[in-house]
Amino acid sequence: MRALILMLALASPATTATATPTSYALQPALSSVGFETDFGPDLITGRMPVTRADLTLDFANVSASHVAVTLNVQGAEASFPFAAQAMKGPKVLDSVDYPEIRFESTAVHKSGDGATVEGRVTIRGVTHNMVMQAAFWRQKGHEAGDLSHLTIRLTGAVNRSDFGATGWADMVGDQVRLDILARIERTN
Amino acid sequence: MWRNTPTRFGLLTRALHWTMALLIFALLALGTTLANIQPGLANLWLYGLHKTLGFIALSLCLIRLIWHFYSPPPPPIGPARALTNRLARATHTSIYLLLLAIPLSGWVASAASGLDVVIFGHITLPAIAPVSAAWEDTGFALHGLLTKALMALLFAHIAGASLRGLKHDGTLRRMIHGSTSTD
Repeated sequence: MRALILMLALASPATTATATPTSYALQPALSSVGFETDFGPDLITGRMPVTRADLTLDFANVSASHVAVTLNVQGAEASFPFAAQAMKGPKVLDSVDYPEIRFESTAVHKSGDGATVEGRVTIRGVTHNMVMQAAFWRQKGHEAGDLSHLTIRLTGAVNRSDFGATGWADMVGDQVRLDILARIERTN
Repeated sequence: MWRNTPTRFGLLTRALHWTMALLIFALLALGTTLANIQPGLANLWLYGLHKTLGFIALSLCLIRLIWHFYSPPPPPIGPARALTNRLARATHTSIYLLLLAIPLSGWVASAASGLDVVIFGHITLPAIAPVSAAWEDTGFALHGLLTKALMALLFAHIAGASLRGLKHDGTLRRMIHGSTSTD
């Protein structure tokens, strides 16, 4: 409901402060990039730190928004040590040769309460199209219409085999589901 | 009591033989199980157990070979040039070679996968192979192939020992009690 209220507020002519693209900076300590994949009957879950995030949001003209996020593969953690080592090793993400994962949006469309973010993701040096769903909230403690601090949740999935990350395919699922919770603050 | 003599198996050799026998059968059962189950969090510990038991088997095999260098075991009962004794010696030599090669091939393959080879839950063994798909695939293929060869040789070994036991020639008794009934 808060997301709906936010979107309605953002669509209002009264929100003149958001009529132009606004730059936001990531609040790293309050943000996380979560992922999960299948491991037999179980799940491997984990987190990956964000190296850099450049976000320009235009709530009056959503298509003018732009998102670029770089993740630190070498800092990734998983739910058990072997999974983290396997994931960062040469058979999966090969963090020595490819220490970063990068996503950059190519188009943003309003979708329901949130947005659909189309972009290009680069993993292991291989780039493919990717679509993520975005939802926005005001951060706790901020008044309606105060867009200085926002929370964005981005969800999507990639098939690791598309990027050559084929290790342990007989044990670990191909689809990796991403759940990014980014807390951001306005910079201009 | 501990040392071998020209006619007796000492206590250490016998203890090593039967301990390794139990260990090898446990490893064969565990390895076969691992090859046929779907890995998951509930059974992940079995892989660590297989590596730990495999490392113990490799260590015991090396200890046994070193011990036999200092305290040679008695030769097979009967004429040295008899076909059964020549077959027994060839089987024993082959089993020793496989007991070295099988854990080493598993160690090589695991190291080549890029994952730490951890035994006893927290001891990381040195990586004895480069991280390489070719080394990993070859290592695991050899591990499986050599294990099947070991199964065949163990079958021959047990069959030969059982036949000698049925003939009461003292071979089986000597590995259990140390000496033949006539010593």
